[in-house]
Amino acid sequence: MVVRSYNDELKYLEKINDHCWRIKKGFQPNMNVEGCFYVNSRLERLMLEELKNSCRPGAVGGFLPGVKQIANVAALPGIVGRSIGLPDIHSGYGFAIGNMAAFNMDDPLSIVSPGGVGFDINCGVRLLRTNLYEKDVQPVKEQLAQSLFDHIPVGVGSKGIIPMNARDLEEALEMGMDWSLREGYVWAEDKEHCEEYGRMLNADPAKVSMRAKKRGLPQLGTLGAGNHYAEIQVVDEIYDKWSASKMGIEEKGQVVVMIHSGSRGFGHQVATDALVEMEKAMKRDKIETNDRQLACARINSVEGQNYLKAMAAAANFAWVNRSSMTFLTRQAFAKMFKTTPDDLDMHVIYDVSHNIAKVENHMVDGKERKLLVHRKGSTRAFPPHHPLIPVDYQLTGQPVLVGGTMGTCSYVLTGTERGMQETFGSTCHGAGRALSRAKSRRNLDYKEVLDKLDELGIAIRVASPKLVMEEAPEAYKDVTDVVDTCHAAGISKKCIKMRPIAVIKG
Amino acid sequence: MEVEFSKENFLLPEMKYECEYILPIIFKFLINNGLFIRLTDLDHTADVQLHGWGTSLKEAFEQCGVAMFGYMTELDYVSVESCYEIEAKGDDIEGLLFHFLDELLFLFSAEPFLVCKKLEITKFDVQNFDIVCRCYGEPFELGKHPQGTEVKAITYSAMQVVQDAERSNYEVFVIIDI
Repeated sequence: MVVRSYNDELKYLEKINDHCWRIKKGFQPNMNVEGCFYVNSRLERLMLEELKNSCRPGAVGGFLPGVKQIANVAALPGIVGRSIGLPDIHSGYGFAIGNMAAFNMDDPLSIVSPGGVGFDINCGVRLLRTNLYEKDVQPVKEQLAQSLFDHIPVGVGSKGIIPMNARDLEEALEMGMDWSLREGYVWAEDKEHCEEYGRMLNADPAKVSMRAKKRGLPQLGTLGAGNHYAEIQVVDEIYDKWSASKMGIEEKGQVVVMIHSGSRGFGHQVATDALVEMEKAMKRDKIETNDRQLACARINSVEGQNYLKAMAAAANFAWVNRSSMTFLTRQAFAKMFKTTPDDLDMHVIYDVSHNIAKVENHMVDGKERKLLVHRKGSTRAFPPHHPLIPVDYQLTGQPVLVGGTMGTCSYVLTGTERGMQETFGSTCHGAGRALSRAKSRRNLDYKEVLDKLDELGIAIRVASPKLVMEEAPEAYKDVTDVVDTCHAAGISKKCIKMRPIAVIKG
Repeated sequence: MEVEFSKENFLLPEMKYECEYILPIIFKFLINNGLFIRLTDLDHTADVQLHGWGTSLKEAFEQCGVAMFGYMTELDYVSVESCYEIEAKGDDIEGLLFHFLDELLFLFSAEPFLVCKKLEITKFDVQNFDIVCRCYGEPFELGKHPQGTEVKAITYSAMQVVQDAERSNYEVFVIIDI
């Protein structure tokens, strides 16, 4: 790693406009393209502070600052355009979380990197609407939260309650939401409102290790722990009435349910297995990277192809997982209000993936190119009229679901043409950590956190209350700052704001 | 693989691990000598570091493994009911540690869902990087064992294996993704 003083480092950074910074070549060695990151003044301070701290003498170990990680990604073979940091960026394993990068599929040297997808493959957010209003839910809020908590298995060591055997798992890995549909867990229209229609066609369960399958089987249909949650939310603000109505959101006070989860132990193991394989492939193919954590393989190599097929299976697992929890949520609501999910109009508004690599066509230097787009902690945000978004959203642009953290608000954005040009149709995914877990644990008391949520009128059911402060809102960047930056930069457009009234988490 | 063991005279090891964020040894040296004081700046945002130590490398490995289970639940609630044997191999010492912890994580994440209170490495071959370990504990049970944090994966980032034979001080540091 290049060692420079903070002031020397700053020479490589240039503020292009109020919301975007450029990272010039040379900031890290061998950069093929430039980097950039989107911030507002407050987030900018966090970014630069992180860089400044890393310039202190003796600061080694742990993770590199986010800006450095963006630049290291810019040095990977086959990258096109820019290595892009979104406003919620924070440092992660290899790639920063909130970093997106696209690689030219026609370049034989281009790579795929599991670090660019993350351990939780196809971690994502699903939003269900209801025709209930806050006044219907407030009186039974506590019971409803408890009922959801009883229906959905949460936290470490919880096991799924959807009956599954090894053969069912194989089919689910191959079919994704088509499996859920066949087994009667979801509605046909749910698939329409899901990226890739809830099924990646190149999934190949044969490329997945037995170990991943064994880890995955008991965990299918579980929420997980950490930052994963299910929330009952109320529409707090509508910025774009027309787009909101296309999503079935008519006015303030309407109740929606947000589910944030991923591919559980299955995806974690697929990623771990791939990293081990790729270390070997890198030595063989003599691929050099600036950081050992950026393990990668050529897209066309056996390891690269195996990873993409296994990753697709993990993506399918995640969709089946979220679909199973959709089913359980609908049951919990139907029981509570003594009616059917149909009569409650509990349709899926949309389902986004924020940890995934996908093959997409984009314009690069005026030419259409086939790219492998890595989005880690970044959400696809396609503009109106894009062929890959459902008919219902052809005129509004793709809905982008941005989850806040426990107790803060969440947003629905829509994709824009500008985002398509600047960020390969990508935008932020959530709040992004500002404090480390260890730090938030030291500084915050869990009882205080719970009391504060209570004061805000938020019902909470949590599997491990003592760990609640790790996910406390204070530990995260302000989601409103993040979303406002994306809106102001024009890479996506604000549509709806929701606030939570009940949280269920691990 | 489940193996037989005797509960008679079963001793639990002394606790020689921490699973909060722990500073690497170089920083301890700097701090002890008053050269470095801004501890909190070294924190990073995604993960937790496990730190195990002992008078032999074998003991440090065992302690590090128990530390991981201590992060998943509270070990005071765990009793020793069964014993499983695992084997791990690697290409180098870091690889061995990685695969050792990965095996333990697997023991917890799938059948038998074991939470270990004691680990006993019966074969510790640092020439061929091969470990055989007996894992004592019981299957995780909701209601009996408090739910802690979920460990997604073991990582190589900032992994350190400290071997100081002269002072018989051995330490390992591993960052786990949670």
